Order: sequence, then structure tokens, then C-alpha cells
Amino acid sequence: MVGERFRSALEEADDRLVASRAMDGDIAAFAVLVRRYTPMMRAYTQRMLNASADVDDIVQEAFVTAWQRFSELDDPSKVKSWLMRIVSRKAVDRIRALRPTVDVDDVEQSAPSQTSPDRVAEARAGVAALGAALQELPAAQRECWVLREMGGYSYDEIATELDISVSTARGLLARARKSMIVRMEAWR
Amino acid sequence: MTDEHEHEHGTPEIHDTPEAQGAPEVSEVQGTAEVEVHELGLEPSDLDGHTLEELTDYLEAGREPADPSIEGSPGCQLALDALEQLRGLGGELIAADTAAMPEVDDSWVDRILSGIALDARAGRRIPFDDPDPSTDFGITEGAVRGLIRSAENTVPGILVGHSELDGDVTIPGARIRISIEVNAFYGESIPVAVQRLRDEVAERVQRHTDLTVTAIDVTVRDVQRVSRSTEDRS
Repeated sequence: MVGERFRSALEEADDRLVASRAMDGDIAAFAVLVRRYTPMMRAYTQRMLNASADVDDIVQEAFVTAWQRFSELDDPSKVKSWLMRIVSRKAVDRIRALRPTVDVDDVEQSAPSQTSPDRVAEARAGVAALGAALQELPAAQRECWVLREMGGYSYDEIATELDISVSTARGLLARARKSMIVRMEAWR
Repeated sequence: MTDEHEHEHGTPEIHDTPEAQGAPEVSEVQGTAEVEVHELGLEPSDLDGHTLEELTDYLEAGREPADPSIEGSPGCQLALDALEQLRGLGGELIAADTAAMPEVDDSWVDRILSGIALDARAGRRIPFDDPDPSTDFGITEGAVRGLIRSAENTVPGILVGHSELDGDVTIPGARIRISIEVNAFYGESIPVAVQRLRDEVAERVQRHTDLTVTAIDVTVRDVQRVSRSTEDRS
């Protein structure tokens, strides 16, 4: 019973304590972080790639890197955003491996079948419409938008991550926002 | 990609991207044909000369200092409203996506744990004080931290966080000070729990190492609730 009780206490503990333990080498605490943040890391990666394939590989790589580099985490209470940064970097690395240069003028893709406008019109919710609009953005615009609005990156950081100029990043974001607003208006 | 069609309803033109002309004309209009399109212009001509980028910067600066030419423009106000709505949705989208993700199962956790080096966080090596110089036995700092953490199993009301061994532990028999951060459980006596933890840690470290512990500092960082469901209620 005691074991059960303490496992539960660790699962319910704040990030600061759990991450501190993991940094000290506690595998059980690291497992708690894996359980706690895998869904969010998967969600973010899937938006970044606009695909489900490779998502688990990327999230796994991110956790392995986190374990190796825990000493670089200055403030354990910020472990969540630190993990998100790592997985974001892994996702960008994967994108870059598949597509070496950012095509800032890439054409818009046709909507994947599972998010046809009909389906979104039924869903109605702004978030669902947003998700569908995001899926239809050209890759570079989508990556900028996800980094900015889901990852909380600054314009400078986006430029660095994607190896583009700040003005290009700003332009891509403006176009992304414009497309999304127009699509969401149309479905409202 | 539906833009080209929508603008024919008299909406101001939104020539979003030059490549839109090259986009394949697929049957994407089906879903939007009957939907009423709101009149929202996002070009400088709709925004009294301002651009969407400018408006985004303005919004991100908290609309300070107030710009009368933006605040006084109905077109800009519409665009700002739309941008503001969009801005908040990024966080909502990741929250919704996260909630929709499948439950994390044990096999996933095992997959991650099997891929990490278990000794990555071993820390310093702490030698045993052995009179025979030909032997070289010791314990790692990480293992000592594990001993300190495991003390919580015998101390009700405490969850151990980070611990530190201050002193040169690489010298056999070194005098060290131990600092421990803990969470206390709501409803338990903190002074009693802290004292029991000190005693337990001192005993364990003495039993398993040759270090001389001069002090054990315990800092309570947080008081946490522990769910009753898994607690022994006998």
C-alpha cells in the first residue's frame, strides 16, 4: 500500500519536484514526466508536421535528449516549456531532413479528406475550424504559425529555428493569419 | 484556395498569395458555396492604409500607445477583432488536441525508458574508506540521492525532491552537509515529518557510505494534496 501511495503522490506532485527528481536520476519521476507530457508533445508535433507518421519517433527522441541534457534545465518548474522546445526542435529537424529548404512561396495544399469543409461546418466550434484551417496552410506558413501560437516562439526565434530572415518569418505569419481568418470567417 | 470564389460576392479582393493563381482548381467550393461570407477585408485598402502585420504588432504591444488612425478605422477594428480571436485560439487548439490524444499506456513509457542510459545521472563517485589501498570500492552520488529519496517510504507525509551533497564527497570520510527539498502532504504535521526524514536519511547515509554528515537541511517547497483514492484508509 505504501508503494501505491507514494507512486500516486509523485504523479500528483508539481513539475518542480518531479523534474528535480528526474534530474537527480530518478527513473520513476522521469516516467511521470513522460506520462504527463507525451499527449501535448504528440499534439504539437502532429500540428508541426501536419501528419501522424513519425510523431512517436520524434517525441521519443525528444525524451531521450531531455534525459541526456537535464543539467541544462535551469529551472525545473519550467520543465514543460523546456520539453516543448526540445520536441519542437526535433520536429523542425525532421522537416528539414525531408525538405532541406524552407519554401516560402509554396502553394497551398488541398485539404486532407478527413477535414473537408462539410465536416468542419458541422463541427462549428472555432477550435475545430482553426485546426482545419491550419492543416490547409502551406508548410512554411504552418510551421511559423505553430511555432508562434502553439510554441510561444518570438519572431527572432522562429527565424533562427527555420533558418530564414526575421522579415520572411513575419511575412509568412501575416499570410498564415490572413488565410486562417478568411477561412474561419467563411465557416462561421 | 476558396478565396478566388468568395471575392466575387463583392467582398474586397484578398489577393493573399501570388501563387494562389497556380493552385489547382479542385472542387473545394462545394462546402462553402452556401455559406454566407462575412465582409472582412484584410488588404491595406480595407484597413485605411494599414497592413495586417502592423495591426498584429499593434495588438501584441497591447494597443499602446494608442494609434488614432487605427482605433478610428472600422476596417482596422474588424481586423483587430479577428486577429485577437485568432491569437487566443492557438492555446485552445493545442489544449483540445492534447485532450484528444490517446491515453499514454505502459508500453509507451517502457519504450522511452528502454532508450535512456540509466547511469546518465550518476554524478560524483564516492569512495569507501578502505584501509587496503589495492581495493577501490565506492558508490555514486546518484545512488546516494536514491537512498535519500527512498527514506520517504518510511516517513508519512513527505515526498522528496532534489537533494544535494555539499562537500568533497570524493575524499573518503569527508564531512558533508545534505540539503533536501521536499513537498509535505496536506494534513500531516510538517515538523514531525521533517524530523523523521532527517533521522531516516542520517541513518541510511551512515549505513551505506563512509561520509560524515554534519547537517541535514530540509526545505519544504510545497504542500500538496494527495488523492485519497489510492491511500490506505485503514
